[in-house]
Amino acid sequence: MDQGHKPDCQIPGTYVLTGERSQLGYRLNKMCMSLTDPANRAEFLADEAGYMRRNGLSEDEIAMVLRRDWAAMTRSGGSIYLMLKIAGTIGQTLLQVGAQMRGETLEQFMATRPGHKDH
Amino acid sequence: MGRIIGGIGTSHAPSIAHAYDRNLQRDPLWAPLFDGYVPVRRWLDAQQPDALVVVYNDHMNRFFFDAYPTFALGVGAVHPQADEGWGKRPFPDLRGDSHLSWHIARSLVADEFDPTICQEMSIDHGILSVLPMLTDTTWPTPVIPIAVNVIQHPLPTARRLYKLGLALRRAVESYERDIRVVVISTGGLSHQLHGERFGMVNPEWDNEFLTQIESNPEAVAELSHDDFMLRGGAESVEMILWIAMRTALGRQVRRVHRNYCAPLITGYGLLALASDDSSTS
Repeated sequence: MDQGHKPDCQIPGTYVLTGERSQLGYRLNKMCMSLTDPANRAEFLADEAGYMRRNGLSEDEIAMVLRRDWAAMTRSGGSIYLMLKIAGTIGQTLLQVGAQMRGETLEQFMATRPGHKDH
Repeated sequence: MGRIIGGIGTSHAPSIAHAYDRNLQRDPLWAPLFDGYVPVRRWLDAQQPDALVVVYNDHMNRFFFDAYPTFALGVGAVHPQADEGWGKRPFPDLRGDSHLSWHIARSLVADEFDPTICQEMSIDHGILSVLPMLTDTTWPTPVIPIAVNVIQHPLPTARRLYKLGLALRRAVESYERDIRVVVISTGGLSHQLHGERFGMVNPEWDNEFLTQIESNPEAVAELSHDDFMLRGGAESVEMILWIAMRTALGRQVRRVHRNYCAPLITGYGLLALASDDSSTS
């Protein structure tokens, strides 16, 4: 029995990291991976666009990162685990990233969380 | 021969590490999570295991898509901490047990599992977000890390993890030394971290899974990745890792503790099971 992901299984609001999507996002993801090195994080923060250009990203990809458009990066093959390395470098949290992907503000998103009410 | 004396299934998450590092164990939001580990830690301390075999997934810290292993086994004498992109936590390197790791490598390969053998295996929150609640942070017990691809499809099937647990049991039981091993699987439970569906949590399914993994692992081993992703979110497919822990224990188990809470964007699950000594493998 084939238990793998079926290409015709469409889950709304979901971008399964298939081989095709992973190849599409490879350069962006590779640039993100470089941010696990503190020296690269400092270089990125000093000149984001220049750092990304030197890492071979397209102008479209650079623009997505500069405007913190996590939703667009996801559609372009970005893996959330790698995008989080940009977020960590610039000081955004997973919750901020998630709210943007849902098209919400952080406050709007947090209002939907059960544990947040009594926090 | 070696013996598997118990198993632990647990969620892992950067948020757990974050809360731990800020001493939020008594915070009303986090206490329901951290309180669950107290009896499990007490049980694990009493067992005094000789090794912890941990089935987990790396989150693009040790491995990248340039060459991405479906299964990877760490054989080093130490396992350093990975920098995930926001700096390391103040912990020493994990201890390994190379002799046991290489035995497991030989046994798995003979058993037709073919992990990538890693003499360097830096470890991320897949293990380090939960280990501080389970053992002393001087890391007295060696860790044998087994990383599984649950990120870039195609992923190994739930059925494959079922077989991995059986193969790990055979590996431990064929070891020449009388050691006591606890198998830990980390991952899940329900969560989706990307797209418009970010933040979906399904406590009903999570609790059903916790029941099934204990009493009827065959049922969850039949599920497809799409079943997991539809029920619990795309990233919840990590839940398949728990199946290896469960089948490594043999048929009969005794529940030590079970805990669940879902305060924010993921279902935090915890299940500790003792192997029933009277059962035959």
